[in-house]
Amino acid sequence: MRVAGALREWLDVRGRSLEYVSFAARRATGLFLAAYLVVHMFDISVLLLGEEAYNSLLAVFHGPLGLAFDVLLVVALSLHGALGACSALLEAGLGVRWRRQLYLAAWLAGIGVAAATIAVILYAW
Amino acid sequence: MDVKWRLIVRRWKEGWDSPRYQEYVVEADPDTSVLDALEKAWLGDRSLVFEHACHHGVCGACGMVINGVERLACITRLGDVAVGGTVVVEPLRGFPVVSDLAVDKSRMFRASAAVSPATLEPARGGGAEGLPGRAAVRPEKLLDCLECGICYSACPIARTMEEYLGPGALALASKTLELTGDWGRVAAALERRGVWSCHAAFECSVRCPAGFDPGGLIMILRGKSLRERGGGR
Repeated sequence: MRVAGALREWLDVRGRSLEYVSFAARRATGLFLAAYLVVHMFDISVLLLGEEAYNSLLAVFHGPLGLAFDVLLVVALSLHGALGACSALLEAGLGVRWRRQLYLAAWLAGIGVAAATIAVILYAW
Repeated sequence: MDVKWRLIVRRWKEGWDSPRYQEYVVEADPDTSVLDALEKAWLGDRSLVFEHACHHGVCGACGMVINGVERLACITRLGDVAVGGTVVVEPLRGFPVVSDLAVDKSRMFRASAAVSPATLEPARGGGAEGLPGRAAVRPEKLLDCLECGICYSACPIARTMEEYLGPGALALASKTLELTGDWGRVAAALERRGVWSCHAAFECSVRCPAGFDPGGLIMILRGKSLRERGGGR
């Protein structure tokens, strides 16, 4: 309950600044990536059930559902990486005066990398 | 020209099961401050509790959440924040509510005391040469922090981690180190409850009505600690 309350507080971005939205996005993408890792560990462990079971699962992820998950994963990774790198700089006391510009650059970089990667995925699909 | 405004105030009194929102209709000019509008409402309902003192953005007593954002009610004009003629006023977050819009900020004052803050800094500009026949003086000014509590309410960590010293106290610690060079005075700020728990949301700096920039000062202290003391822990 305490965790849920903290998450509600952290992720409520109504009326908040770019800096705060960046903080919330770091947390939201971090949670998504952690959840994705857990799901991935589960789908790999299906191997234990045999080749047929694993191939059936792979078939599901080769369809539109898998594509949607891949797109979400790319967006989350790109934003989490770009905003995280920006945050690491600022949290070491570097570029503090230009933080808004740094966050803006991080958003642009994250969205750019995500868009390019998604284009490659769609081309290959 | 006076127009009608709907003030929706979050109210809670000791003994109530839960807070409730009460509507007040006040007639006022769009340039009227939210604090003045609350005082008009108070004329019709003396049970409405809120803090105020200077009415011009210096004392820091009237920090509130106005339409979802932390502001000083005395320097916030109705016309600037109302949405469709409605202004929702709530107490600051991250502090226990004493009554209606009044909160108990003792957590912030305890945190400030823990870092033994300096209070004065050199003032920029004239006066250093002194008056004719008088010794030269070094003008000083109080640090810009109003201790209004807005930074605590805006900070996602201060709202969810009770032991966190908070943006205001940590910014004072950063200034104190800059002014005195005394690491001993700011030792508490370098513990886990201090600067290392800040997660760089910077909403404290964005909302600070005095431009004290708590988030920036916290990062400066972190940077100094990393460079000069390997983290200081």
